[in-house]
Amino acid sequence: MIRLENIQRRYVSDEVETTALHDIDLHVESGEFVAIMGPSGCGKSTLLNTLGTVDRPTGGKYLFGDRDLAAMGESDLAKFRGSTLGFVFQSFNLIDELTIEENVALGLAYRGDAGDRKGRVAAAMDKVGIAHRARHFPHQLSGGQQQRAAIARAIVGDPKLILADEPTGNLDTANGEQVMNILMGLNAEGATIVMVTHSPAHADMAKRRIDMLDGRIVANAMRAM
Amino acid sequence: MNRFTLLSLYRSLVRHKLHAALNIGGLAVGIAVFLILGLYVRFETSYETWLPDHDKTYVVQTVWTMPDSPINGAFAYTMGGLLDQMREDFPGTVGTRINGGDRAGTILADGRATRVDAAQVDPSFFSVFPLPLVAGDHATALAQPGNVAIDQKTARAFFGTRDPIGQTLVVSMDKVRSYRVSAVFRDLPKNTDFKLSVLMPIAQESKSENWYHWGSMALATYLRFDTPAAARAFEDKLTAFVDRRGKELDDSGDRPSKIQHLQLLPLTDLHLEPQGSDSGTAKLTVVTLGLVGVLTLLIAVVNYVNLATARAGLRAREVAMRKVLGADRGVLVRQFLSEAVLTVAIAALFGLILAELGLPLVNAAGGLSLTISYGIVVPALAVLAVVVGVLAGVYPAILLSRFPAAAVLASARSPGGGRAGTRVREALVIGQFGLAIAFMIGTAVLVAQTRHVRSTDLGFQRQSLLVLTSTVDPAVPTDRKPSILTAIRALPQVQDATIANAAIGGSGEANNTNVPLPGVAGSGPSLTWVLVSPRFFETHGARLLAGRWFDDAHQLDDSTDRKSADGMNIVINRRALTPLRFRTAQEAIGKTVGGSRPRTIIGVVDDLRFDTPRNPVPPTYYIYQRRPETIETSVTTIRVSGDPRTALKSLAGLWQRMVPQVPFTAQTADERLADFYEADDRATRLFGIGAGLAVLIGCVGLWGLASFNTARRTREIGIRKTLGASSSDIVKLLVGQFLRPVLLANLVAWPLAFLAMRTWLAGFEDAVPLSPLFFVGASVVAVAVAVLTVLGQSLRASRAAPAWALRHD
Repeated sequence: MIRLENIQRRYVSDEVETTALHDIDLHVESGEFVAIMGPSGCGKSTLLNTLGTVDRPTGGKYLFGDRDLAAMGESDLAKFRGSTLGFVFQSFNLIDELTIEENVALGLAYRGDAGDRKGRVAAAMDKVGIAHRARHFPHQLSGGQQQRAAIARAIVGDPKLILADEPTGNLDTANGEQVMNILMGLNAEGATIVMVTHSPAHADMAKRRIDMLDGRIVANAMRAM
Repeated sequence: MNRFTLLSLYRSLVRHKLHAALNIGGLAVGIAVFLILGLYVRFETSYETWLPDHDKTYVVQTVWTMPDSPINGAFAYTMGGLLDQMREDFPGTVGTRINGGDRAGTILADGRATRVDAAQVDPSFFSVFPLPLVAGDHATALAQPGNVAIDQKTARAFFGTRDPIGQTLVVSMDKVRSYRVSAVFRDLPKNTDFKLSVLMPIAQESKSENWYHWGSMALATYLRFDTPAAARAFEDKLTAFVDRRGKELDDSGDRPSKIQHLQLLPLTDLHLEPQGSDSGTAKLTVVTLGLVGVLTLLIAVVNYVNLATARAGLRAREVAMRKVLGADRGVLVRQFLSEAVLTVAIAALFGLILAELGLPLVNAAGGLSLTISYGIVVPALAVLAVVVGVLAGVYPAILLSRFPAAAVLASARSPGGGRAGTRVREALVIGQFGLAIAFMIGTAVLVAQTRHVRSTDLGFQRQSLLVLTSTVDPAVPTDRKPSILTAIRALPQVQDATIANAAIGGSGEANNTNVPLPGVAGSGPSLTWVLVSPRFFETHGARLLAGRWFDDAHQLDDSTDRKSADGMNIVINRRALTPLRFRTAQEAIGKTVGGSRPRTIIGVVDDLRFDTPRNPVPPTYYIYQRRPETIETSVTTIRVSGDPRTALKSLAGLWQRMVPQVPFTAQTADERLADFYEADDRATRLFGIGAGLAVLIGCVGLWGLASFNTARRTREIGIRKTLGASSSDIVKLLVGQFLRPVLLANLVAWPLAFLAMRTWLAGFEDAVPLSPLFFVGASVVAVAVAVLTVLGQSLRASRAAPAWALRHD
């Protein structure tokens, strides 16, 4: 489904040039659950952002199915994200001024297809067990509840790929487990997931584990089933 | 305030240059507008306060309350002999009359005639108006009939460095007389309506036949009372006084005070008090401009509060750290208040500089001569800095000091005042833009009305018309008037010329009389009458609606030497048709009105508007006098061909040859009419400047708020883009957020502007309709300006890469 070939990402500031990704080659097939691990600053999030098209590589090729994403314009990429991807962040990134329900609905807002939004939002909230908090604002919820709301927002549009950036990083163990269970359930239902994590236990729950160091993939192994 | 407060304020200003510029700049402009308009209001309300004992001086007003009269209202003029009768009935009355003033006399010296502000006054003048003297003595200055008191300017002009006391001055007012200079008074300041540079005692022989004619309004009478209570007590006696003395006012046997009474007006109120049926424009203008000043400052303060609270969130971490280090709420509130006062003080300084720089422009635009007197302005600004600083600083200070330290430090994000803060800011933007839109509507209506007034039909062709007022001067020998008129007509540029006792620009006389109607009881409607000589209507290019003009072939047309009981022919104006009970102009022709003084209507002329556009054209009839010299107050109106400037020159040459003893005074009709428009034009310009700046400050505020808000929402923008929002979605979101309060602002602006403009337009006889276009137009402009203001930032924000935006805090 995804093919990254020789992906590079360089940041240039006034005097310093930093290379966050060096010639990354990566294939992800449909239905996979990939965990990316590595120390802070190794390029995990940059890779995830690149996969999510919220950051553009400075070199290389990114094919999603048969589409060359590197060649697409900003507005096409926005449409692509809205219709194809779902994001889950470490810091949840819910919008403070919107209720949980509205935050979840935001996952459909930019898609264009108007069919039964209310039902889909309700179903997504139900799936992660957050429906009873629909009318609350993010700051009224615990971290675990906020992250589940964020997952609901990510899955409401039935994305082909879910990208999760340390989804359990800000959560306690119990809440972390809950979130991981939800992700695994989604994967079992057929969702493709790429997750960045610091937790080896959570990485082990994925089907494949990639280790990164200094902007390079140093290990790429399927979990023994 | 300690060193750290100053240091952190300085660094914060330097670090956030844009924010500082917006905050201080907006406030400085607001303070400058407030300052300049404050100076204007202070100037306008300071008239006559320079006069020693000004609070003890009152002007006697004649108040007309005649049924159906066009001249009802209070006038600051009385009959000539009123003071004499008051002194007889109320011994001990202290008062003076002032007859003349603005260019009312001529000084003849070295074969040259110079128009001066001459007035005849009572010998007691200086006990009511103790003008500061530089030579002479108040008690004796006007004691002798041959004495004259002059101001320093006149003394310099006619005597140079010589001692003026004892010198001879030849002055022509109603007669040419020689006077001995007995006193020199200081030139009057600018904030006075008195035009006095030459003062002479009222001569016995200048007391006209109407001196004791109740109903005449020949001069101004001033009285002096030691206390307001004494003035009130005196005023209470005036009704009985009028009933006793003014019996000739009403021959029906009713109480004279029913149609005319007298009242006292404090001298300092005179400047802004409307005369007669005039609307209170002057007062309204002063109040309006004062309000514009206060509201502009308010908008600027709102701006400050808005930006300060918006930025408050960004300082949360600083506040939290200060709390951790031991600062309590009081200390923090004091710190932020001192910062606000200090910021406002800096803004006040810049405002003062701006005002000083802008004052020449404002003076030019408003025809004013305002100056900043630092002795008053600097302490006033210091007070303003503290008051505005505290007002503007108190909300952000309380908001900031309330942030919980632990939560702020633990969180990765900064609080922005929450939803309540957003709502307060939105309410402030609504208020601010509401005022700005109301200002815009006001300016549009003002401009439309002043334009309308200028282009309105006056009933005559105003181009190429000259008005020569020199012929009114009593120094022009009556028997020479026909030859002067003939000579004027013989000038090559002159097409036509006529003499009348009324002219464009209001020169001449205003006479009214009641015209009894046949078969109708009572004294009949009150009409204005005007004396005209041959070719009056033709010279003006007036429009005949029915009948004919006067001509010498009809003997009854000429009313010279005719007794009123013998009857005469008259031409009436269109406005007179209704009070005279005619439905059409044609119907009036040949009809006779006037009871015992029969007047037969031979023609109906379309209304000639000679006076201010604010007043209705009075119902008028015209009386014909074949010999122009028989019209005592004889204003000459001349129609010329080609450039009126050239005609004026050759007219001046002719005048100099024929009547060198009288100064030449002539203007084009347009110049004379311009005086009527000037006050409104000035108000419109000042209002426009104030409104423009208010809108500018509003936009600066909106821009600042938008920039803050965009920064605060960067992360949200990132989230939305990650979820698939396109750049145009983001722009729509951000612009829409600001559009809402701006649209809601119309709800504030429309009723406000509607009420204000309806009141202002009511002062015009011929007003433009208050079209919805003014309202919609101003709102469209406001929305466009608001969109443009926030669009740039929204576009920039929408283009930011989402990954960057997500990392942003």
